[in-house]
Amino acid sequence: MAPQQPSTISNFAILPILLPPSPALSHLPKTATHTLYIRPNNPKIPTEADARSLFVVNVPVDATVAHLKGVFAHLSGGVVGRVEDVVFEGQAQIPSQKSTVIVERKRKREEEPENATQAPELPSTWDRETRKSGGNAVVVFVDARSMEGVLKSVRKMQKSKDYPLWGHGVSSTKVPALGSSHYAAHHALRYPDPSALQRNVDAFMTAFNAGEIQRLREAKRVRNVPDADGFVTVTKGGRVGPAKAAEAERMREEAEERAKVRTGEGFYRFQVREMRKLEQGELVRQFEEDKKRVEGMRERRGKGGFRPET
Amino acid sequence: MSHIPSKRRKLDHEISDESDESPNSPSNELHSAFQDSDEEVLDVHAPATTAKQAQPQPHSQPKRAKDDDESALYAVGLYKSSMFKLQVDEMLAEVRPNYGKRFTGADDALRQLKSVIEAIEDREALSVIDATKLLQKSHKVTIPFPDPKPDKNAAYKLAYAKPSNINIVGSYALKAMVKADSVLSIDMVIVMPESIFQEKDYLNYRYFYKRSYYLACLVAGIQETLKDQFSLDFEYLNGNTLHPILVAKPKSNKEKSPLNYRINIIPAAPQTLFSESKLRPTKNAVRPKENAGTETTLPPTPFYNASLRSDANFEAYLKLLYSASRQSAGFVDACLLGRIWLRQRGFGSDVSEGGFGHFEWASFTALLLKGGGSKGHSVLSPGYSSYQTFKAVVQFLSTTDLTSKPLIYESPDFSGTKSDVPVFYDGPRGQNILYKMTPWSYALLRDEAKASLDMLNDAAFDQFESTFILRTSQPLQRYDCILSLPVPAKTFDSPTCDHVSQVTRFSLRLFDVLREGLSDRVKLIDVKSSKSSSWSTKSSGPTLPGQSLLVSVVFDPANIDRLVDHGPAAEEKRKAAKFQKFWGEKAELRRFKDGSILESLVWKTGSTYSIFQDIVSYLLKRHFDEEVSLGLRLIGESFDKALPSSAASSKLFETLKQAYNTFEKNVRDLEGLPLQLRQLSAISPQLRNSSIDPPSFSPQRPLKTPAAVLIQFEGSGRWPDDIVAIQRTKIAFLLKIGSLLQDADASITTRVGLENEDRKLQNCSFLDVIYESGAVFRLRIHNDREQTLLERLVKDKSTDPRTREDAVAASSLYKRNFIQLPLLNQSISTHCTRFPLLSPTIRLVKLWFDRHMLSGHVSEELIELIVASIFLQPYPWRAPSSVMTGFLRTLMFITRWDWRLVPLIVDFTGTMTSKDVSSINTRLEAWRKIDPGMNRTVLFAASNHDTTGVAFTDKGPSRMAAARMTALAVSAYKLVKDKGVELDQRSLFATSTADYDFVVHISPRFAADQKRKEASKHKFKNLEVQSEANLELVGYNPVQLYLSELEKLYANSVVFFHSEVSGSVIAGLWNPQHVVPHSFKVNMTYATNISGDPEEGKIGIDKSAILLEIARLGGDMVSRIEVNR
Repeated sequence: MAPQQPSTISNFAILPILLPPSPALSHLPKTATHTLYIRPNNPKIPTEADARSLFVVNVPVDATVAHLKGVFAHLSGGVVGRVEDVVFEGQAQIPSQKSTVIVERKRKREEEPENATQAPELPSTWDRETRKSGGNAVVVFVDARSMEGVLKSVRKMQKSKDYPLWGHGVSSTKVPALGSSHYAAHHALRYPDPSALQRNVDAFMTAFNAGEIQRLREAKRVRNVPDADGFVTVTKGGRVGPAKAAEAERMREEAEERAKVRTGEGFYRFQVREMRKLEQGELVRQFEEDKKRVEGMRERRGKGGFRPET
Repeated sequence: MSHIPSKRRKLDHEISDESDESPNSPSNELHSAFQDSDEEVLDVHAPATTAKQAQPQPHSQPKRAKDDDESALYAVGLYKSSMFKLQVDEMLAEVRPNYGKRFTGADDALRQLKSVIEAIEDREALSVIDATKLLQKSHKVTIPFPDPKPDKNAAYKLAYAKPSNINIVGSYALKAMVKADSVLSIDMVIVMPESIFQEKDYLNYRYFYKRSYYLACLVAGIQETLKDQFSLDFEYLNGNTLHPILVAKPKSNKEKSPLNYRINIIPAAPQTLFSESKLRPTKNAVRPKENAGTETTLPPTPFYNASLRSDANFEAYLKLLYSASRQSAGFVDACLLGRIWLRQRGFGSDVSEGGFGHFEWASFTALLLKGGGSKGHSVLSPGYSSYQTFKAVVQFLSTTDLTSKPLIYESPDFSGTKSDVPVFYDGPRGQNILYKMTPWSYALLRDEAKASLDMLNDAAFDQFESTFILRTSQPLQRYDCILSLPVPAKTFDSPTCDHVSQVTRFSLRLFDVLREGLSDRVKLIDVKSSKSSSWSTKSSGPTLPGQSLLVSVVFDPANIDRLVDHGPAAEEKRKAAKFQKFWGEKAELRRFKDGSILESLVWKTGSTYSIFQDIVSYLLKRHFDEEVSLGLRLIGESFDKALPSSAASSKLFETLKQAYNTFEKNVRDLEGLPLQLRQLSAISPQLRNSSIDPPSFSPQRPLKTPAAVLIQFEGSGRWPDDIVAIQRTKIAFLLKIGSLLQDADASITTRVGLENEDRKLQNCSFLDVIYESGAVFRLRIHNDREQTLLERLVKDKSTDPRTREDAVAASSLYKRNFIQLPLLNQSISTHCTRFPLLSPTIRLVKLWFDRHMLSGHVSEELIELIVASIFLQPYPWRAPSSVMTGFLRTLMFITRWDWRLVPLIVDFTGTMTSKDVSSINTRLEAWRKIDPGMNRTVLFAASNHDTTGVAFTDKGPSRMAAARMTALAVSAYKLVKDKGVELDQRSLFATSTADYDFVVHISPRFAADQKRKEASKHKFKNLEVQSEANLELVGYNPVQLYLSELEKLYANSVVFFHSEVSGSVIAGLWNPQHVVPHSFKVNMTYATNISGDPEEGKIGIDKSAILLEIARLGGDMVSRIEVNR
């Protein structure tokens, strides 16, 4: 590790985290660290919580909410509970918008009532999610002040070297352990209770069918209403069914077949001549192709490529 | 140039025959070369060549001035295909030595030798004793008399006189040499004068004694003057002990260019000295000593006679070949092709190499140009192209049996007799040109010719490589078992008159015994003795190495492990007696179920090799002696033993198959299924006899890995029109099937499991069906709507790119799992029945891949395709009949597979046409054009089921893994080649982890190796019954789960390697692209830290953090992580 660590990198603050030593890697120095890059959250589509959240890059693969809470508790001077929530890459934003979500939902519901019956996800088969290497996360604090405090202490840490320890204060009862028990749990969770599974499927199908009906109704409505340019969209489900792609293909083939029967393949002299010419051309083409391939072989194999094996 | 229509063929013969006598005949021409005359010489045939003269050869240049279009059209008729012709041209250009460069100074050397020889003084006729003593004293030369040595009191005298003629013969004169022969030899024939011989000298070796003395005199003469230029040694010409010759190797005066040619100085008999009719194959020329007076029917001495005749025929054959090359334009090239073909098959003129080399090939071809067909018509037409000539000769060899029907060319008063050795009697020259062949070498030659003919007739695939490039004579790939045994000092049969060495006699007897004893258990038996070496002119003969024979055998897999042999019935007295005499006490009379009473043999149960060994050692003991049988060593059986539970495997596979049939029946019998069942298809390697570990299960220990099965229902409009909804509906179906099965049979346990949780478009559920017997099946539903729906998603423009990517991946997986796998499963299991050795070979090759930790990269299906191709297109051999040949040929295939340019094509049904093949080639070329860096498609493995070629290679191997596969195969194959028969099979399977960047050691509690040991541990029966089967753990493999999680998390930065069978380590390689620091960016795909110069603000991969993550993820499963760099 370089003695002169820079404190920032393209406006990300650098936050090293001490990693607990592992018996499997005894040769590594005890002070192995993992580097987090953090900055105030500034997404393209702003949300209410931006002012009090941090954008964290390079999250360890085994990160959980508890782990990050532990890190930021260390940075807030040991005060627990400053972090409200953590949203990992690929997760929906919804949990962090607790305060606003109800209002928004209400408005939405009036417009698109089909969303009311959300199709349920399948039961999870993991007791603990893992993150892709190098991924990022958004840490939402209870208020903007605690977030700024954290950023400040990160800057200070450059001197104090009092890095937070990964996994410090994470209780083993709340966060499932990794290793064999993690996989044993996964194996058990893969086989959910049949009745629960059946309920899940039923709920999904109900939601799906409701959505389907809604979509049909929508399509029917569109069928009768011209759009801004005065065109009526052609949609599925009219009295006369719309043409199917496969059907059209079949019709075309039939027509071609009929044309072939009418004139025959060798009916006219020019056809025969053309056919022969085509065949000859094909032979020449084949030869040229083969020549190229043999040349390619010679090039690839270099000298002696065609010499019999000894 | 000489497209002579067949009508004129006869006329043409006359012309060519005339040319034999014409003043312009080659020998005169060759002669003229010595006299340094300025006579005009024909460029192709004159030996005196300068560099300039060697260049212009009508057929050698691949880039000919001829119009390409024209040759394209001709190539189809005259050659197999234009591809074949182009490759042949390339090869011929490659193998032709540059005569000017290679033989610098050769002509000077020849001239010098000639003048020295001509200057040698004549010697008085001396008795044998005096001659020997004199030469020993004056020049320290030992006369290389053949065995038996001449009688010391013999009345005849040995003499030397100036040779009547000196000539250059052989392929140097014909310009038909091939480069890769290590040392090229020029044959110089010294024709001895008639004056030193008597008419009766053909009898009782007298000619050969005189010849030996003549040769010794030549040595003495050359030694006197040219000692510094040449090193002189004796050698047997073609291993024939009657033909000692002098080998003169020029000593190179310049250090840098060692001369790599040698001159064979061969004493020859005058052409007309001995009468042809007295030396025919049916005549006797070596009178036995005992009954010298009685002139009754003496046993013929064909080998002796032919050896003598061949000594008189050097010039005659040169003339014959020369006239053939004038007659047919393709002759010389056809000889070159034949020469290469023979060499790749291990044939040569040498007695130990089968006695059929390029000289025999060339004279064979030349004679067939003149006759050999029915009613004296010629077999070959002079208008044939080189390839046509070559193919016609191969065809002739394969279809005509010259042992049972000797071929006599232009010798009306002689008709051959049936014998063990082939006869092609050349009347005008009075010699059987195949006299050096043995029964086994002839059988082998015909077998090779048949195989090659099949290859050349293969219309769909290009067989150039297997015809000319591949070396088929490598013993471990050619033969299933090799026996090494000592040659005993004793003789075991009555002496013959003919000149036969002790080794040959033993070989002949051994061959007869083995052929009769092994009968249809084997397809081929070949006997190889060691080649004779050259010896110094001072010593009395070549030093004999410890004499041992190698007997190589090709099994017939259908019969080789038969336990009971049926002999003749007891009523057939004579046959039964013969059988008893052959087998001795082993033969016993048995009554069989069908009421017949037969002489029979019963062998002890065991592996293929143990039965084979039992039979061979019994035969040796019975027909030779204990000593021979004790000296027997078997090579090749170790590969059989490398497989886990090799003996019982086929039974285990069969048991699972039966369980599957029960399962299928149970499912079919179900009532109350919502849809009509269409079919059940197996897709598990365990159900196609190709898993490394044969499936073993018992009520207490259920099958470790569930056997995957697909179920398909009749089409129905009730499936939802949405891919995700279909996947969810499948769950409901599976739950229903499960409960129905459990209702129908209470002993069955079922449970529905989930998979592909994070990929919504893919199949998400399966049903495990566990039988009381321990058989476990994993059922998935195949719905053919999925394909259309996925394609619709891909085509739909409103789909977001991520979903489209998912849909593409799901679609390729769908095709693989639901369409291709059932077809492959079907084909592989069918062919496992057709070829009994396919299953063990696939398993051994899979084991090899696994041991080298490539099993995660190279899919099992790809390996199966590769091995299947070895069996379905086995050329240049036949389908493997042992695990060893199958495995080593697969290794060789991988070594040679240039996957960048060449697709693997497996034709399971034998119905593919050349059009199919070329369309697959085109497809590969298209892929390479789109993706030259091979980031997406690397290996291309097509079959008649799948012309896309990527069904089983879409997921890997990556280019890196494929390159590693090739590199590993190359080094393994090199070991095979270097070690030869001394190969230790285990060294091919040993792997080193030093190449990897880091190695994660799995703690022994979780390693697969350990589990296997536990499973195989013997348990007391009563304990076993008491313990409950743990159904929860069916299909649970924590190390595999750990590995796939690692692969998911570090998809871009680390490549992992793991062996499923040993399972104790996971090795990793850092992606080299990521090791160099990059400038900072948010969406990196790997953990980073600040690296390099802090001012620059660059980040690099954080190896120690990642390693610690890997350790944390593994938790208690990881015992140690070793970092190599």
